[in-house]
Amino acid sequence: MKQFIKKADIILFIVLVAVGLAASAALSMSRMDAGDGAKVIIESGGSLYATYPLAEDRVVIVPAPKQGKVDAPAPDPDKPASEQYDYYNVVTISGGKVSVTEASCKNQVCVKHGTISMTGETIVCLPNRLVVRIESKGGGYDSVTS
Amino acid sequence: MTQSPRKSSSGRLSASFIARVGLMAALALIFSYVEAIIPYNPGIPGIKLGIANVVTVVALYKFGAKDAAAVSVIRVVLAGLLFNGLFGMLYSLAGAVLSLAGMIGLKKTGLFSVTGVSMAAGVLHNLGQLLVAAALIEDLRIFFYFPVLMFSGIAAGILVGVISALMLRALR
Repeated sequence: MKQFIKKADIILFIVLVAVGLAASAALSMSRMDAGDGAKVIIESGGSLYATYPLAEDRVVIVPAPKQGKVDAPAPDPDKPASEQYDYYNVVTISGGKVSVTEASCKNQVCVKHGTISMTGETIVCLPNRLVVRIESKGGGYDSVTS
Repeated sequence: MTQSPRKSSSGRLSASFIARVGLMAALALIFSYVEAIIPYNPGIPGIKLGIANVVTVVALYKFGAKDAAAVSVIRVVLAGLLFNGLFGMLYSLAGAVLSLAGMIGLKKTGLFSVTGVSMAAGVLHNLGQLLVAAALIEDLRIFFYFPVLMFSGIAAGILVGVISALMLRALR
């Protein structure tokens, strides 16, 4: 306890930071591919709306819970979402990437969020209570690391 | 070492060891509790200061490895049962064992200060948790979380180390 910080501490600190930086660089380079069998999970109003394979391209119309009508018609993928619903999001899966391409809300945060392609990434639309996330086939890590 | 022997001649734990460890475990548990009730959320799961580890570090330097190990394990088990749940306990236990081993080893080299030892412990603690998480979900991709835990472990470890060093200075 003669010294608060010793030389070896600083060396250790630099080594640890370097390892951390190298790891994050390596990870961002490999982009942490979601891998085969990754799923796109769409939750609406706190419950599961649909699950699709990340590998298959598709456009999904998700009516928001506050659309209200219990007997709201199922979305027709051939018609524009805005003609069918007042409150909705459109989720596009394309080339292993997921984005929200259309939203009825004012702030458009989810649309501006851009694309996600890695396990664990999420896009959230708070006004429509929509959560889109990617999970590997092993399941979500975020449910166990809390 | 000037303390009384940890084991009496009959080979059982001495009363002073039991009393000392009990006291320190209780103190550490209070730290865990205070940390559990403070509603702060850094937005990333798994990141916290771990202020209770101050007690572990002080125990290690003031009384030795056995005391530190006993305090740490008792604290983790009790805090797990009381606040964190069984899964939380499993993570913490892995982290605690790994960081204890690291601390004892680094302290033995005599090269590092309290702060340095604690910094390494913070990183090892997070690494232990990550290993358990990877084993539980059987998916090594969770290691994309590694850099985050690395840096938070460094930061938390340094903070705990500085506090511990100040404590040890005051206790001398």
